[in-house]
Amino acid sequence: CDPDLDIINPNQPTIEVFWQNATDAEQGVNSIYSTFARPGMSRWMPIIYVTRSDEGYSGSPWSDLANAMGGFIQPDYNFGPVIDVWVDCYVGIFRANQVIDNVPGIEMNNDLKNRLLGEAYFLRAYFYYNLALLWGNVPMMLESSKPTDLPPTTLQADVWAQVELDLARAVDGLPAVYANSRDLGRVTKGAAQALLAKTYMQQGKYTEAEGPLNWLVTGEGASIYNLMPNYRDNFLITSENNQESVFEWQFTINPTEVTDNDVDTPNHNYGTSISQFMAPPGIGWADAEARTWAIQEFLKEQTTQGERDPRLSASYLFANTDERGPQFTMVYGQTYAQRYGMENNRAYFRKFLNDHWRNEEGYRSPNNYRVVRYADVLLMYAEVLNATGRTAQAYAHVDRVRARVGLAPLSQTQPGLGQTAFLEQLKHERLLELSGEGHRWADLVRWGDLGSQIANRDPGFNNFVIGRHEFLPIPQRDLDINKNLSQNPGW
Amino acid sequence: QSSHLVQGTIIDKTTGEPFPGVTIIEKGTSKGTVTDMDGKFQLDVSSSQSTLVISFIGFLQQEIPLVGRSTIEVELDEDISDLNEVVVIGYQTVKKKDLTGATAVVGTDKTSRVTAASLGESLQGLAPGVSIRNGGAPGQGAQVEIRGVASFINSNPLYVIDGMIADANPTMNTNDIESIQILKDASAAAIYGSRAANGVIIITTKQGAEGTPKVSVSAKFGIQQLPPGYNMMNNVQFAEMQRTQFNNSGLTPPASVGVNFDPAINTNWYDEGTRLGNAQDYNVTLSGGSKNSNYLISGSYFENKGVLIGNDFKRAALRINTKNTKGRVTFGENLVFTNSITNSPGTGNPFYDMPLHLPVIPVQDSRFITGANPDGWGKGTTDAVTYAWNPVAVNAINSYRSNFAKVVGNAFLDVDILDGLVYRFNAGAELSFDHNKRMRRAGEWHFNQPAAPTNIIEDRSLFSSFLLEHTLNYTKTFGKHNLSAVVGHSQQHTKRDVLSAGRTDLQSFDGRYLNTVSSATGDPIADGFIPVNYTISGFLGRANYTYDERYLLTVTGRYDSDSRFGADNRSRFFPSVAGGWRISEEAFFNSSLVSDLKFRASYGELGIVTVGSWDYIGFLNSNPRAIFGPDEQAYVGATQARLANPNLGWERRSSHNIGFDAGFFDDKLTISAEYYNSLSEDVLVNLPIAWYLGNLGGEPAVNAASIRNRGIELAATYRSIKNAFKWDVSANMTTIRNRVMDVGNLGEGIDYIQTGITRSQIGRPLGEWYVLKTDGLFQSQEEINNYRNTNGQIIQPFARPGDVKFLDINDDGEINQEDRTFVGSPWPTLQTGAQFNASYKNFSFNMQWIGVFGHTLMNGVRRDIDSYQNTNFRADISPWSPDNTNTTDPRIGVSVGDPGLIDNARLESDRWLEDGSYIRLRNLEVAYNFNSSLLQRWNVSNSIVFVSGQNLLTFTKYSGLDPDVTGNGILQRGFDNGNWPASRIYSVGLQFEF
Repeated sequence: CDPDLDIINPNQPTIEVFWQNATDAEQGVNSIYSTFARPGMSRWMPIIYVTRSDEGYSGSPWSDLANAMGGFIQPDYNFGPVIDVWVDCYVGIFRANQVIDNVPGIEMNNDLKNRLLGEAYFLRAYFYYNLALLWGNVPMMLESSKPTDLPPTTLQADVWAQVELDLARAVDGLPAVYANSRDLGRVTKGAAQALLAKTYMQQGKYTEAEGPLNWLVTGEGASIYNLMPNYRDNFLITSENNQESVFEWQFTINPTEVTDNDVDTPNHNYGTSISQFMAPPGIGWADAEARTWAIQEFLKEQTTQGERDPRLSASYLFANTDERGPQFTMVYGQTYAQRYGMENNRAYFRKFLNDHWRNEEGYRSPNNYRVVRYADVLLMYAEVLNATGRTAQAYAHVDRVRARVGLAPLSQTQPGLGQTAFLEQLKHERLLELSGEGHRWADLVRWGDLGSQIANRDPGFNNFVIGRHEFLPIPQRDLDINKNLSQNPGW
Repeated sequence: QSSHLVQGTIIDKTTGEPFPGVTIIEKGTSKGTVTDMDGKFQLDVSSSQSTLVISFIGFLQQEIPLVGRSTIEVELDEDISDLNEVVVIGYQTVKKKDLTGATAVVGTDKTSRVTAASLGESLQGLAPGVSIRNGGAPGQGAQVEIRGVASFINSNPLYVIDGMIADANPTMNTNDIESIQILKDASAAAIYGSRAANGVIIITTKQGAEGTPKVSVSAKFGIQQLPPGYNMMNNVQFAEMQRTQFNNSGLTPPASVGVNFDPAINTNWYDEGTRLGNAQDYNVTLSGGSKNSNYLISGSYFENKGVLIGNDFKRAALRINTKNTKGRVTFGENLVFTNSITNSPGTGNPFYDMPLHLPVIPVQDSRFITGANPDGWGKGTTDAVTYAWNPVAVNAINSYRSNFAKVVGNAFLDVDILDGLVYRFNAGAELSFDHNKRMRRAGEWHFNQPAAPTNIIEDRSLFSSFLLEHTLNYTKTFGKHNLSAVVGHSQQHTKRDVLSAGRTDLQSFDGRYLNTVSSATGDPIADGFIPVNYTISGFLGRANYTYDERYLLTVTGRYDSDSRFGADNRSRFFPSVAGGWRISEEAFFNSSLVSDLKFRASYGELGIVTVGSWDYIGFLNSNPRAIFGPDEQAYVGATQARLANPNLGWERRSSHNIGFDAGFFDDKLTISAEYYNSLSEDVLVNLPIAWYLGNLGGEPAVNAASIRNRGIELAATYRSIKNAFKWDVSANMTTIRNRVMDVGNLGEGIDYIQTGITRSQIGRPLGEWYVLKTDGLFQSQEEINNYRNTNGQIIQPFARPGDVKFLDINDDGEINQEDRTFVGSPWPTLQTGAQFNASYKNFSFNMQWIGVFGHTLMNGVRRDIDSYQNTNFRADISPWSPDNTNTTDPRIGVSVGDPGLIDNARLESDRWLEDGSYIRLRNLEVAYNFNSSLLQRWNVSNSIVFVSGQNLLTFTKYSGLDPDVTGNGILQRGFDNGNWPASRIYSVGLQFEF
């Protein structure tokens, strides 16, 4: 008559029995990386970065999307694609916090423990870096979440400070390279240095940024990283995690996946849907496409061989991706002219697409997303040297990036630039080298270039209100739940 | 002792004929006899002053004092009241007149009139306090709420089928049901304690009766017709309107409505996606019995071909009910085997897609043929943008077949221990062998469709629920005291075990697909888990006491323990008490008008479990995967994804009920009325957890909220059966006043729960619409410029003439979410039902009406259409333009880069809210009863043919397909997100017995 009412869940372990050994610690860390394949990260975050900047926009027939992404019109503060980014950043943070709370108490090899904690600190910092860049003032969760947590808003400056702190810990704990190839794709000391440099630079702390960049360019990193001889190799599935790669999201195909939600079933999407969302119409959703003014920038200068800058066709799918024109440019097995006619002058970002190996897209692209490339690091270094009064020393690093694509050294074409002029040239260099990779928004913020003055290149900026649109609105739902939070200025 | 011989004749008062078979007993003795064929009897009684008790089933019992007479003549009058009807109240039965709780008894003569896939659907409008909203799709159940909603999570009542606690979903054949009792208040439902807070529906299936074997057969065939769809534009109208739309925005119209316009393509997607449905229902029942045993075997087949292509439902059932008595032991079982199959495409909702899809796109055409779309299904293109799904293609490419093979029933053993004391052992079981098979074939059904491999996934699961109960029943009469009591123990274990497998890359030959997992050639898929596993164990008891048929008292209690809660919160006692006063039995009560009058009152506490099997514990989720290494291996990740609250407990509902039952004019008119007031506490709130917590997989529940439901229920019936033209009319009405009393601590200053566009705020009803208010259209730029807040800020600077004007509720000079306000409630203020039955000679007639009033619906489909973007247009829109200002439709244009148009289409606006009140002729039936001598020669009796029409008329202002909206969960109750509408059904049927 007295049945056993303690029925054990046969599907999952309880949290009480977990966090016992090195395997648990490693699995805890792995779960943070899994966040990158969630749609907020692998789909919407890159789209927000490229469309919000002046290099891209959304021409999506989904008008809410078109307006919110790059049109600076977002009436609904709970707008799904934007919220997905917010949610998944915090999903990653929750996972990192669980590791940071529980792994120190595990008895295990100390080096491994420090490394795993270093990964967790890096990843937490990376999520906060993006939150600070997109939303600025956000709630700060530094311990495992409890349902009743009602934190106040943390100002952007304090978020940056926390990112710096976490990255300093990551630099300490992470190896420069992993001994075992099975760990390829885990974050490294170099990645932490690069992100730390970016964090400083976004705050205008150029002097502080020099340390981590020194490590990468003149220190230990110099023997680890180098540019790929062929620029386009940075975007092909056949040359992932190459010598130029500093930090890269790892993707692969799971053909049987049934969901993008990585906690519903193990059978979820291990790839990215960015290519489905960026591919031109008829193939993909074309939810983010390129402004064409940047194409003109590529045509300003030819290589020393008198050819077009090879980065142009690596960066964009447009009528003249093949220099001979729309009847020769191939778009997933058909010519551009066949698909869109002879008059169409729209352009699509190509770097994340899979047109180099198949004639279709889907939600399961295996093409890794290159977050930080060494070319970016070199240009950052040049920017820091210039900003700290060493413009002459900065030239070499720009020239190294230009030489890879066959452009003459800047020291020959434009020697002796002053600090301001050099920065202007650097803006051009970063545009051409990094177009469509998601860095442009941070660049515009850092350079103070946001505003309606750039509406001539991107009409979306006609709606840009200074003091408001630098940050996205804090989700209404979180404001509704937590009165300690405050909405960003202007929203 | 002297003896006295009495002779007499009994006459049927209605017909005036002699009455055979009437029982005559001398009161207080066991002496008795029965009238002969001429209605005559003869009986030796102990005294000339004795009293005779004269009775016959279905007739009013009479007591005749002899006062010295030795010859009497008595007219027996038909008993039209149902006060002596036996009502099942759970573990016991009582006479209806002895009920103290709020219990509705619904006759199957009413429920069986309608064609219904589920019991719930057949109950619509028949019982006060019971709100039913129909699912509509083949094999889909109805939404049943008893006395409002007192939970944010679950409003489903508990179903008890012949003593087995099991869901009466569409797998149950409603023709097997003998009686339905609905326990509404705490007193009635308390015997089911921790599971009864949403009310209990007790179903008793048919049993064989003593007599020669009887075979009854019924057959019914009906045609189902959808209500007309939205009146959408044809190709020419659409092309013209879309040209206007693009021109208004300074854009070149797509070539599909311009230079490439093809007048030959004019697709009516509603016609393509729908068809005439039908419903067929066949039953054969064999029953019979002797004094000590009876049996009933029924076989049935029900089939519903849905009104949407690709949707159907089939159910075959075999029932075996037997009961045997040997000496002091009675044993038997009620068992049903059912097999049901539901087919559908398994994805998409054509009720959205059909109106949205463009008439200039053909269903199928060679120009759409590509490698990924080998059959050339028509879909949106860069030249004719729509993201609507082609419903014909969806159906051709995708299939989802659900098969439930079930055994449900119970077996019992009664032992008559002593006089009045009976032990019962009841074992119930529900076993369901579920098999779902999903296939995705080659092809594309919408614009920009992502590539995905063909695949097949099959999952099989075993659901099992075992109930074991021991009860002791005691019934005793001591003089005027009458006691019936039950005590017992009940235990139920429920489990579901799922295994699923699949593979990508189907093989097909000549357009035919191989359809097993092993025939596919790609990557395998496998999964297996136990989502449900819990045990409930409890002690129960109830005592019914009556004194002199005047004073009634019922005391009930149940102590339950449930494995779904942590050890500290696992057990709880649920008590109730009820009393009744049958004032019409009092000596002082002497009314020729009022034949019966009883007052009732009750109080009690009930519970409900709204949590999963292990929600009170935090678990590690091992589904995340990290990709590392040159070979891109997936490494296991583990994390707590979902936050948990260890202190979960039952939701508790305490309720008061007062009511009366009255009969007038010899019970020709009966009226019942109830007032109830129930307060639910510890209501689970899925804590709307902030996104910054990083919680996934559902929000953790806390027992924090409180909800009150109050209302009155009224039911009245008038019967006139004394003439050849017999008729009765019944009506019922319900009011429910639903108030959120507490929502728990959701943060500083937060007294509400936000769910999409609804808000449940303290002091207000659950899930009220919380949206922006509109105020017509701007007619001019001047009007826009003059529309300012008190500080002089222009409120809608982006607007253009013809745009919707929104109210700046907080006067901050802009329209944003701070301007949302309460605009309407999804709760009807009044729900009514009415039935009229009549018969004359061989004809009979039945009519059922329902009326639901005073609630507001959200028309989600109209929102998509009237947003104008990438969709077809309603044929009757008249968009604002400078030349067309006298309209309620805003200006039309392409909304990209046009914030005014985007605002016009905002979901969170009262533009899409509509009055949902409706009156519906639920059923109309005419039947003819053959009594021909030819049939009698073949021993066929009771042969009836009928024609009926269901949902023939609906009076409503609602612009959607059907105001009977099931909604989007409890908190978005009136959200019409492409709800499957109720069809009109025209049926013919026949039934006979031999």
